[in-house]
Amino acid sequence: MATLKAPIEDIKYLINEFLDTSELSNIPIFSDMTADLTDVIFEEAGKISETLLFPLNRTGDEQGCSYHDGIVTTPDGFKEAYQEMTAAGWGNLICKPEYGGQGLPHYIANAVDEMLVSSNMSFTMYMGLTIGAYNAIDQFACDELKGKFLSNMVSGKWSGTMCLTEPQCGTDLGLIRTKAVPQADGSYSISGSKIFITAGEHDLTENILHLVLARTPDAPKGIKGISLFLVPKLNVNDDGTLGEPNRVFCSGIEHKMGINGSSTCSMEFENSKGFLVGDLNKGMKAMFIMMNSARLHVGIQGLAIAQASYCSAKNYAKERIQGRALTGSKYPDQAADPLIVHPDIRRMLMTMKAYTEGARALSIWLSYKLDVSHNADNKQHRQDADDLVSLLTPVFKSFLTEIGETVTSLGIQVYGGHGYIRENGMEQYLRDARISKIYEGANGIQALDLVGRKLPEHMGKFLRHFFHPLSNFLEQHSGDERLSVYIHPLAKSFSRLQQATLFIAQQGLSNPNEAGAAASDYLDMFGLVAIGYMWAKMAEQITRGTGEMADEFYDAKLKTGLFYMQRILPQTGSLLSNIMSGCTSTMSLSEEQF
Amino acid sequence: MKIESVAVIGAGVMGSGIAAQIANAGKKVLLLDIVPDGAENRNIISQSAIKKTLNVKPAALMHKRNAKNITAGNLEDNLNDLGDVDWIVEVIIEQLDLKQELYKKIDAVRKQNCIVSSNTSTLPLADLIAGLPKRFANNFLITHFFNPPRYMRLLEIVVGPDTRQESVNTLTHFCDHELGKGVVKCNDTPGFIANRIGAYWMQTALLEAMRLGLTVEEADSICGTPMGIPKTGVFGLLDLVGIDMMPHVLQSMIHSLPKTDAFHEQAVIPDIVNQMIADGYIGRKGKGGFYRLNKSNGKKVKESINLMTGEYSISEKATLESLKPPIAKDLRKLVSFEDKGGEFAWSVLSKTLRYSAELVPEIGNNIEAIDRAMKLGYNWKYGPFELIDKIGVDWFSNKLSNDEQTIPPLLLAAKGNPLYRFDEKKRQSLNLAGEYQTLQQEDDILILADIKRDQQPVKHNPSASLWDIGDGVLCLEFHSKMNSIDPDILSMINIAIEIIPNKYRALVLYNEAENYSVGANIGLALFAANVAAWPQIEAMVKSGQGTYKALKYAPFPVIGAPSGMALGGGCESLLHCDAIQAHAESYIGLVEVGVGLIPAWGGSKEMLTRWMINPKRAKGPMPAISKAFELISTATVSTSAAEAKSHLFIRPTDGITMNRDRLLFDAKNKALQLVDGYLPPEESEISLPGATARTALNLAVTHFVQSGKATEYDGIVADQLAMVLSGGDTDITDLHSEDDLSALERKAFVTLIKQAETIDRVQHTLETGKPLRN
Repeated sequence: MATLKAPIEDIKYLINEFLDTSELSNIPIFSDMTADLTDVIFEEAGKISETLLFPLNRTGDEQGCSYHDGIVTTPDGFKEAYQEMTAAGWGNLICKPEYGGQGLPHYIANAVDEMLVSSNMSFTMYMGLTIGAYNAIDQFACDELKGKFLSNMVSGKWSGTMCLTEPQCGTDLGLIRTKAVPQADGSYSISGSKIFITAGEHDLTENILHLVLARTPDAPKGIKGISLFLVPKLNVNDDGTLGEPNRVFCSGIEHKMGINGSSTCSMEFENSKGFLVGDLNKGMKAMFIMMNSARLHVGIQGLAIAQASYCSAKNYAKERIQGRALTGSKYPDQAADPLIVHPDIRRMLMTMKAYTEGARALSIWLSYKLDVSHNADNKQHRQDADDLVSLLTPVFKSFLTEIGETVTSLGIQVYGGHGYIRENGMEQYLRDARISKIYEGANGIQALDLVGRKLPEHMGKFLRHFFHPLSNFLEQHSGDERLSVYIHPLAKSFSRLQQATLFIAQQGLSNPNEAGAAASDYLDMFGLVAIGYMWAKMAEQITRGTGEMADEFYDAKLKTGLFYMQRILPQTGSLLSNIMSGCTSTMSLSEEQF
Repeated sequence: MKIESVAVIGAGVMGSGIAAQIANAGKKVLLLDIVPDGAENRNIISQSAIKKTLNVKPAALMHKRNAKNITAGNLEDNLNDLGDVDWIVEVIIEQLDLKQELYKKIDAVRKQNCIVSSNTSTLPLADLIAGLPKRFANNFLITHFFNPPRYMRLLEIVVGPDTRQESVNTLTHFCDHELGKGVVKCNDTPGFIANRIGAYWMQTALLEAMRLGLTVEEADSICGTPMGIPKTGVFGLLDLVGIDMMPHVLQSMIHSLPKTDAFHEQAVIPDIVNQMIADGYIGRKGKGGFYRLNKSNGKKVKESINLMTGEYSISEKATLESLKPPIAKDLRKLVSFEDKGGEFAWSVLSKTLRYSAELVPEIGNNIEAIDRAMKLGYNWKYGPFELIDKIGVDWFSNKLSNDEQTIPPLLLAAKGNPLYRFDEKKRQSLNLAGEYQTLQQEDDILILADIKRDQQPVKHNPSASLWDIGDGVLCLEFHSKMNSIDPDILSMINIAIEIIPNKYRALVLYNEAENYSVGANIGLALFAANVAAWPQIEAMVKSGQGTYKALKYAPFPVIGAPSGMALGGGCESLLHCDAIQAHAESYIGLVEVGVGLIPAWGGSKEMLTRWMINPKRAKGPMPAISKAFELISTATVSTSAAEAKSHLFIRPTDGITMNRDRLLFDAKNKALQLVDGYLPPEESEISLPGATARTALNLAVTHFVQSGKATEYDGIVADQLAMVLSGGDTDITDLHSEDDLSALERKAFVTLIKQAETIDRVQHTLETGKPLRN
């Protein structure tokens, strides 16, 4: 059986000791975030994850969603759990208090998010999509729409979706065909088909608010003619009560590899009433806002599933006895030693642990930068943080979902045949994690975003906010003997990343294929260095000796960090070789030769 | 016969401009005008004209001291002085009787064989010399300069039937070599070549824009870059030259052209233009013109006039379909495109090109001369006949036929063949008889574009090429974006240094772009700075230093031949040459402080040593250090080659070529002169005072910072410069080698590029082309 224990100790350490929160300490909501308060939040979140959501994970996967005549039924127990979760406010941590939300900082909410997702990814998608839609409406819609819809979204009474994909267009949204015809009353009549709509139809809420990308009749061609519309499943009267159905139909649900408890719907809009969100033809701008927060959320999904897989694998490795330690039996009284004595099992567990804890540090650190970008007093600081978040969003989304796949696959490997069968739940993690590399912009697209947009922006300005602090950090601690095992490998990989960046900047100008072929390897390098930076910062912070956690905890951290530096980070060397070899071998076959 | 001294009569804008250019050529020039009634100072007109040349923008004088070459005088007291000069240019009001009266006075005092010319733009030569003695006519011709005379390269000359060939040759040689003009011989027909076609083109564009309902922006966008015409187009150009001159030009053309001439159809001044002139909207020199800058709300807002209503509104960029790249970049597509932009393009182009073709042979037999006049006089990239070739003779003729327009004889004679062709490497042009005639080129002109057409480069990479320009001399051409110096250019310099000693004798750094080089390509350095790649940045600096040093000590002569801007890293390449042959219009300077850096490819080092070894400097190192510091810390750019000499950006012994077309020839000659017995320069060592000098230099800067003339960060940049120029951490007894100074340059450069302010400056400049004051 899979087992789950929320990583509360680690989260407490990261928030209370690792993270430097001084930059926003004079802002009220941030100064309120004392350890006393946040520890309670994390403990409660851990409890509800382990006891309420986790038990529904296997059953939800086995049962899946069902579709009958336009109606989608979620797995047994989801409805009750949804009621309990929303009643307790777990769905609106970051929403504004004026709509009934709790207004918590992202670095707190995202730490909670990881725990919830880790216990039941499918379930949390219903709440996650609502938050994405909330963000777009809050930022772009007129006051009237906000007043009419937001508080019911925040309370969880109504849920939200993002309707982008159509049968003929996924990544290339310029091809969208869904029509929006202006009506006399200022609304729009929306018609078209959308597919792969997460939570497009379900039985958890009384109404569903669809955010739909569509084009008006005289809109410019391509991406510049797309607008965003809010289309409710049921019309809402001026007094807030529900009115007539709005001709929004679910025509079926997909049968998928994973996240079976999450409904993935095909939607039909047939002259449905819609309301413009934001400016006409500026839908992509709003979309990007939605996507950016969604991309961080997807990165966290990778981390969360990795955490779940690691949690089971380490327990299994301690319990399952097979073979003897190479250096002589550790448990002579038993028929065999536990798996955990074997170096190769250690290799897998250490890899899982080092990736997961490093990714968690990056998640909380980057979430805090997101808070800085919204809340800092100083405009320049907000801008700098925003540049940094923009730069790292594709890295975070892609690299953490890669970690999700790597770790869940290792999790199966630790279990051996018992991981491959369904009974132990390890294969579900891999199946669930797999989608995160695909949706919200496939990882290849993220890599192109990184090299094609984020790198050249203002001739490398975004890079400055990552590279300069890291360079200064290395310089500051270059003479520290105790840290040298962390600093030296990081410095080496950092200089590789610099070299690759300059190579791409230089080559990409004359041959875009060069940048395109290097993109994914470059993104991985970036991710490896970013997490290496987190490990080095943790090591530096721990060696200061000011922390209040148990010695055992710090000892494990330092050793895990060392494993990362010695056994994972050096991958940057081979990635650099890949990149520097140029794109010729990638591009030279003719299409016929495939 | 040689021209050593000149008199210019008439001290108006053109007269004083011509006098200034003659002074720029280092010749004495007497500037005469009338004595105003009751004037106490009888030279008041010419004296104030000379004063004005010192302040006029763009500068008429290449160096302030050139004003001393101009002597003021008046037509009453100084008439006899005309007897001493070799050439008299008459630039008085366009009135025949006054001119003839003047000529009689001149003829009485001028020395035998003194050439007399008129700068008339409207009067026929035949009328000017009517009734004057033959000896006068023997030495008389028209020299028609364009405004401003220093910068406009065209000089039209009209020779009379009696003009002596020697006078023509002497004057042509003088105007070409000494004044730097492109001399085009014209027939004695109204408006000569450039204004005949130019005025027709402007009028046609103006009237067609109104007929087809184009905005001024749309008309200028079509009638500009797509046709190889400066982007001022037609309305921008009218604003520049003055809208009020139109009635005069048209009047004179109407008066002098036969009734059958197509010019008459276009010689109408629309009511709105008359109204503008009446209201004082005569262009940039008045309240504004078709465009104006509205400063009423405290901000400068560019506005343009609505050609229908005469009202101004905010200028809006033209967005015609026909202006999109695939169409606007292809003349055939443009003139066939079905929108008003395409219709306008065809209408203006077909009329103008057809008119030009019909003027052969009236205004000239040689189409190349006509093309050259339009290129030099109106800054067109292609002359009308080159444009016809671009479109295709047949294609153009067919389209004319479709419009039921007659085909000019020249195009019929072409029988579908191009108007120009290359035969055995010689350029040939077609004449009216349908025969190709080889265009003669003088022996002392060398054009890189011609060489490039005839041969493959010796070496080539994306940013630079090496060309064999004969006699063992290689030419290194930059062709990167804006000719910015990048790793490829440095690599090409190193290649030249490697191959020349074995197979060649000398190297010339030269190219035919508008600007020699705008500086080092700092885009990559900015990227490297953003990713904190400090060792790589230091390596980039070191590589530039090493390359330029190798250039300086190469075992063969290296000549730099700049024209236009030579800034930053471009200037530094020149500082490492053995000698310079500069085009007179060279704008040279070390401008690195503008982006928060210091010259580090040897620029600081070379300027310092130049001023140190300058024999004229005062005793002790401080005056030299101060001078280099002043020039670099204020990013001084010379406004001419002559001024560059004063600043020692080029040496007093370096050469200056007035005519752009002769630059490469002169530079090659200079290189060949140095070949025999060439020895590379010896490395110099200098002693520098160190911290005390740095403090002294900073003191001066502090003053500027306190008074708000410089920002605090300017002070920090200046301090790094002061550190380098004072020798860093040293004292006066230490000797500094060039490598020591290079190391200081690197240190300062890397220190500065680590600063956020410098990175912001570099980014801002690269993105906007403007400096950031932070």
